[in-house]
Amino acid sequence: MAEIKVMKAKDMKKVSSRQKVGKVLGLTATYLFLGIMAIIVIFPFYWMISSSLKEMDEYRRAIPTLIPKVLDFANYVEVFTSEDLLLGKLFYNTLLVGVVSTFFSLIITVLSAFAFARLEFKGKNALFALLLATMMIPGELFTITNYQTINDFLGLATLGKALGNQFLITIGNWRNTYAVLIIPFLVSVFYIYLLRQNFIQIPNELYLAAKVDGTSDFKYLCKVMIPLALPTIISITILKMMGSWNSYMWPRLVANDEAHRLITNGLRTAFTNAEGVTDIPVQMAAVAVVSFPLFLVFIFLRKYIMKGVSRSGIKG
Amino acid sequence: MTTNQVKTVGVRKKSFAQTIRFDKWKGWIYLAPALVLLLIFTIWPIYNTIRMSLLEGYTTMKDVGGATFQFGIGNFKRVLEYPGFITCLKNTILLCVLTVPISTFLALLIAVCLNAIKPLQRFLQTIFFMPYVTNSIAIGMVFAAMFNMIIGGSARPDSVGIVNNVLEFFGFEYINWINAGSEYWANIVVMVVYIVWNALPFKILILLGGLQGVNKQYYEAAKIDSTPKWRVFTRITVPLLSPMLAYVVITGFIGGFKEYSSIVGIFGESMGPVGNAYALDTMVGFIYRAIGNQEGTASAAALILFAIIFAVTMVNLYVSKKTDYTGKKSNAKKKKKAPSAAKAAKAAKPRKSINLNATVKPVIAWSIYAATLVIAIALALIFWL
Amino acid sequence: MEIVLQNLTKIFPGRGKSSEEVIAVNDFSFTLPDGKLVGLLGPSGCGKSTTLYMISGLQKPSAGKILFGEDDVTDLSPENRGVGLVFQNYALYPHMTVKQNILFPLQNLRGADKLSKKEMMERAYEAAKLVQIDELMERKPSELSGGQQQRVAIARALVKMPRVLLLDEPLSNLDARLRLQTREEIRRIQKETGITTIFVTHDQEEAMSISDLIVVMKLGVVQQIDEPQAVYDDPTNLFVAKFLGTPPINVLEGKVEGEKLYIGESAVMDVPGVADQEVIVGIRPEGFVLDANGPLTCKLSNVEVMGRDISVVSTHEKSLNPTVRSIINADNKVPATETVSYSLKPHKVFLFSKEDESRIRFEVK
Repeated sequence: MAEIKVMKAKDMKKVSSRQKVGKVLGLTATYLFLGIMAIIVIFPFYWMISSSLKEMDEYRRAIPTLIPKVLDFANYVEVFTSEDLLLGKLFYNTLLVGVVSTFFSLIITVLSAFAFARLEFKGKNALFALLLATMMIPGELFTITNYQTINDFLGLATLGKALGNQFLITIGNWRNTYAVLIIPFLVSVFYIYLLRQNFIQIPNELYLAAKVDGTSDFKYLCKVMIPLALPTIISITILKMMGSWNSYMWPRLVANDEAHRLITNGLRTAFTNAEGVTDIPVQMAAVAVVSFPLFLVFIFLRKYIMKGVSRSGIKG
Repeated sequence: MTTNQVKTVGVRKKSFAQTIRFDKWKGWIYLAPALVLLLIFTIWPIYNTIRMSLLEGYTTMKDVGGATFQFGIGNFKRVLEYPGFITCLKNTILLCVLTVPISTFLALLIAVCLNAIKPLQRFLQTIFFMPYVTNSIAIGMVFAAMFNMIIGGSARPDSVGIVNNVLEFFGFEYINWINAGSEYWANIVVMVVYIVWNALPFKILILLGGLQGVNKQYYEAAKIDSTPKWRVFTRITVPLLSPMLAYVVITGFIGGFKEYSSIVGIFGESMGPVGNAYALDTMVGFIYRAIGNQEGTASAAALILFAIIFAVTMVNLYVSKKTDYTGKKSNAKKKKKAPSAAKAAKAAKPRKSINLNATVKPVIAWSIYAATLVIAIALALIFWL
Repeated sequence: MEIVLQNLTKIFPGRGKSSEEVIAVNDFSFTLPDGKLVGLLGPSGCGKSTTLYMISGLQKPSAGKILFGEDDVTDLSPENRGVGLVFQNYALYPHMTVKQNILFPLQNLRGADKLSKKEMMERAYEAAKLVQIDELMERKPSELSGGQQQRVAIARALVKMPRVLLLDEPLSNLDARLRLQTREEIRRIQKETGITTIFVTHDQEEAMSISDLIVVMKLGVVQQIDEPQAVYDDPTNLFVAKFLGTPPINVLEGKVEGEKLYIGESAVMDVPGVADQEVIVGIRPEGFVLDANGPLTCKLSNVEVMGRDISVVSTHEKSLNPTVRSIINADNKVPATETVSYSLKPHKVFLFSKEDESRIRFEVK
């Protein structure tokens, strides 16, 4: 075996200076690339805010201004007062649906995750596998049947029609109610899975110790499991709330009347007149208003979102 | 004996036997709310959707009216022969094949760069994650505004949109991206840009997490061995990252095949530029529009979508399993830490199965993946022409 | 290749505002002769690994110079130094087979050093044979035992024929039996290749058994550089005396008056040439001789039989350790009394200054 070529002192100076130059160049290129990409990534947000503060005339300019010449808050005033976008009602509906569905969803998720993580019963593993398998199926497949289901829940509406019973018809037809926006999505197999994984990591000895002390399962769940799994529960809460905020298709199908419409649905069609011409600055103001709560969530709860997301891949 | 002890302590009132009987059902009681809802909104739909898809020409209206339907695969045939559906399939596959590799590659590049810097890393990471926490319809509208032209009276539009302004700044001609009369390729470019923008944060998060999990000593060892940078990337970083890459690609494909709301965000529910509605329709869009009037067709389309997603996922899983070696390492660690027989046995079991996979070279596995991609592209082209 | 360290110093900046900077290695000068096996020995946190990483180039010294032969490599990055490094946990690439792992450094050679495929294979197999893993070439690291992984790591470091071979705690991840075996291997491989080798360890026995030279370090400062036996027989200070030897050296309080060493009230030994002062006395366990009339009397606790030797555990009020332990030949009978008396072998007794724990030498007749 030949020994590696020994570099002479002169060479070494050359090598060491070349090495330094390469390092500096590499680092500069890295920062340059990241900087450009970062600008591309946040530019839409900037453009949204910048446009929302422009008057229509300024927005229409052939050579656009990056920063509005005159800060014009009229667009925001219009967003909050316009008949076209009943913002108050939309916010109210979305929050109501979000809070209620998150609350019940959490209860159901915690109970189920606990059962799967700690309790022993026949068929547990088979059931869990079955539930996980349903995660593979695209939601659209369920939507088709669920649309039928909520129009005629358990056949009650049909029965009511046959009997001439108005009460049964009302019970059976969920269209344009809050319930239809909440109930079908209360159970998420993914959240159950996420929380179960977290529960399992809590040492079983704690559970056995609690049993020896005579603590009931439910008390153990409330006093030990939930506090220990709190970060995951917070992640689930945020993701679920964001889901309500961003949901579009299902509300659009089943509850698109003015009384129950959610924010995203209201937003998509607002400020476009009958000819399909859009008042972009006002629209951008509306988008900014809708996005604002999400930014707040992002700024303060980023950690939990990232944690939840890195285990999911499911958006909202 | 246990009963006696418990009784003397006086905590439990129930007898041991009772506890056992109750325990048998307790699990189901905890699960009851979830199971009832799942039964109605998940399990029943699976059965019902398959049923409807196999009843030719099924619609709810007629069903309620008392009509009967013939059993058969007519719905599937109709869906596949329907030109609108072919457009949807073509659009969906095209978007998938374009956006998944582009976004994965960009995310990988960004993640590697982020991992290589120290100052500003946190800050930049936060910026790159921002698009994740957005409403895809709402920001779609922002993108639409960026690409939108405002047509005035003259030959040249009043405003060509900020993107075109940038193009013109670099000496290019402005392009009609999304307005009336825009071309298909321009529409697709806009969609690809938006979808990639939307997909980046998740992928960067996962890949950066993976990179930070890689033992720094591998890089030090490579440095000692005078390994050139690109070789470190291709021979060490990418293979060590392959489980995360596979995960990102799988979720990317699943998301891609379900693409819908980002198109609504930009083009509205007409799913295309003015005057060319449904030019960018996707499979999910097709399904939604069939709901309420043609459930049989919708069901058939949903099942086809499921089949495609299932197939792609399986192929990806197969590939990623072949390239996965990380399980073994953790097992080796486990074995060292846990001398107890039970744990050692547990650790030994998966070890054996993975050893089989270890013999297949990652190169082969990745070429299978590449082949799948090529086939997918070919399919897209066939549908296109 | 001779390696020269000149006033090598490494200072880590403190983390956060309040904490102070840490001097990991302080003013380390040493010339490492060509072709020798050198052990850097010290407790954890003494700067031995930092020294090794500075030699490898993975860490930059804060001050001082590193020379490989004539060449100053201080500012050279690791890839240009031509060193081989075996990491503590081996850092074998988990996705590559043993063969790919060993070939990896060769495939990086460029320019005049570039090898053909055939040459690479030959070299890889040569290295594998040297460490006796040539039958495991198609396996993945996860399918190997700790000892085998260790050998692969050495082969990977050796295959490019480095100017220096560096080993970071090479035996710490192995079980006791393998450790014995592997350290012999390292010795053999080093002898066969003649590559200057430096290894880091916190295990004195390991360092003693295979090194040509031992460097004992404490808190970044070199305490002693010597041949293994010399370090044991002639420690420069209390730290070195304590750190080497199992069972450890016995430490007692004593004083010198009129060139006689007193432990408690009794004069135990003549110490010619030592001025009157309070001292710390270190006595190696094998330095005791059972002697009914001996000057040092201890309270007997128990006797441990170890086969060839017996270990007598006793207590003494002046002892700075909980017990005084002596090792004596099993032929001797320990009297079944409450006390045990010893006379001492002068060359196994070391005196240390009470102020700075440095060695106080005396003539041994």
